[in-house]
Amino acid sequence: MKQLLDSDLELVVESDFIYMPLLFDPEIEKEIQILESEKPLGSPGKPESKSIIAFKGKHFVKALNLQSFINNYEAIDAHSYHRFRNECLRKYRLTREVDGHFLDETLRTILFRIMPYFIKKNKVFNRKKVSDEEILDLIGEKIDIPGKYYIEAITFGDLNALKEILKELENQKPLFKMPENGLHSGPKLRDWLRKAIHAKVLADEQHRIIKSLQIREQFRQAKPEHIAVLLYLADAGAMEIDGFGFNRNNAVKGEYLIYKRTGDYILKDYYARSYLFPDCRVAVSTYTPYRPFVIEKYKHPFLLGHKAGQEICMKNFVPSNEFTAENVIRTLEEGLTAMRYGYNGRQRNGYHSLDEMWVHIPTITFEDYRI
Amino acid sequence: MDLIKDIRQKRAKQKQKKPIKRDIFNQVSGLVRQYGLKESFLNALDEAEDYLSTKNLTFTRVRLKVPVESPLFSLVTKDEYFLAMSIIKKIDNPYLGFAHSPEEILLCKPLYRLNPDLTPEKLTHYDFETLFLHERAKLNRGKTKPDDAKL
Repeated sequence: MKQLLDSDLELVVESDFIYMPLLFDPEIEKEIQILESEKPLGSPGKPESKSIIAFKGKHFVKALNLQSFINNYEAIDAHSYHRFRNECLRKYRLTREVDGHFLDETLRTILFRIMPYFIKKNKVFNRKKVSDEEILDLIGEKIDIPGKYYIEAITFGDLNALKEILKELENQKPLFKMPENGLHSGPKLRDWLRKAIHAKVLADEQHRIIKSLQIREQFRQAKPEHIAVLLYLADAGAMEIDGFGFNRNNAVKGEYLIYKRTGDYILKDYYARSYLFPDCRVAVSTYTPYRPFVIEKYKHPFLLGHKAGQEICMKNFVPSNEFTAENVIRTLEEGLTAMRYGYNGRQRNGYHSLDEMWVHIPTITFEDYRI
Repeated sequence: MDLIKDIRQKRAKQKQKKPIKRDIFNQVSGLVRQYGLKESFLNALDEAEDYLSTKNLTFTRVRLKVPVESPLFSLVTKDEYFLAMSIIKKIDNPYLGFAHSPEEILLCKPLYRLNPDLTPEKLTHYDFETLFLHERAKLNRGKTKPDDAKL
């Protein structure tokens, strides 16, 4: 079909059907002659158009129904359909991820309730509660947000175009007209097809347009800079400021990893010798279990092995069973405290000892960290 | 018993699958489509004999035919169809079915006139120009010895 629409063939449209030029061989010619001798072939414009019509001295054969072609385009050419769909959705910033993330409670909790706790040492904040707008301002200052998000923020805030489309959809007005009966070139039909597919995509997305309008109404009073920050976070799904950050897990909807960096720190062994431990990220998932773990491949007396994603061994730690800002903050703090201050060199608590004991079972060594 | 056996053998033969033979329309329409021939080709057909009589073609080498795969079931546009049918009507000899190029189509009639008894093997194997030159040379020499027909 794509080759057909890109070619210089002339096609006839008649009663919502495409008629293609009839190809000949001796058998077909005989059939045409028989048909024409029995009854004149239907010409366009007549209600009962037959399988073959004659138009301007040429013969055309009934091929496919335009409405059916549009309705089933997704199955016929999935790749093209998704390309059209993405184009259309992107134009109106209707991509699911964006609107979904604006209402994402987890993300809002991370940004506006958890993050201020861990970056409150910044001079900008004092003891008073930080507003959401101040947090977004801070993110805008700290993160280099690409210019395109500021431009998109303006489109995002323009509700009129969406309202008009929704109004027409609700009035059940067809957003596109079928092509007129008669001769059409392939490229002309291709342009019509593009508009028709766009209209179909919008019609399919009617419920989503309604929801998007609701969300955008809420953010109508927000500054474009703030919308740009939220758009950036919706796309990127990750951010880090002053050692605190989060990553979205795209495989599981609504799951994030929230982390805080330990920074470099020193532990002492039985003989008060110092060991410099490198920076790592202590994280907790927004999905159960709410236990702190180290993201990187890391070794530590409280980690069983030397690999990534190990849970931190913490005595008397009872993990919470609910995702709240307070629980996440508590879990992260406990994990960070355990890593930096939990090891007692004299008691040699933990899976491993920093120093080698006289009955030494080689497990993980920390000699390379010794200062 | 022989009669019954004979009848059975005949019926079995009739039931055997036969390969589809490309007919002359498929051959010619395939060439029309492949080479993009237009109506002006019909004029070239009319003038082919005059052209050949004036041209001094020399027998330099034996040309083998380039094999061409024509479509099994050829469907062409209306214009191409009428052109193919016109060509078939104008040439109207069995050599047309062995032509693999427009040049060979032009040589069908003159070649047939020179020698209508060329075998299908020769027509399939050798280019029409080679065959035409060979036949014309034979005619010019006025020899018809079987030994001269080395092809």
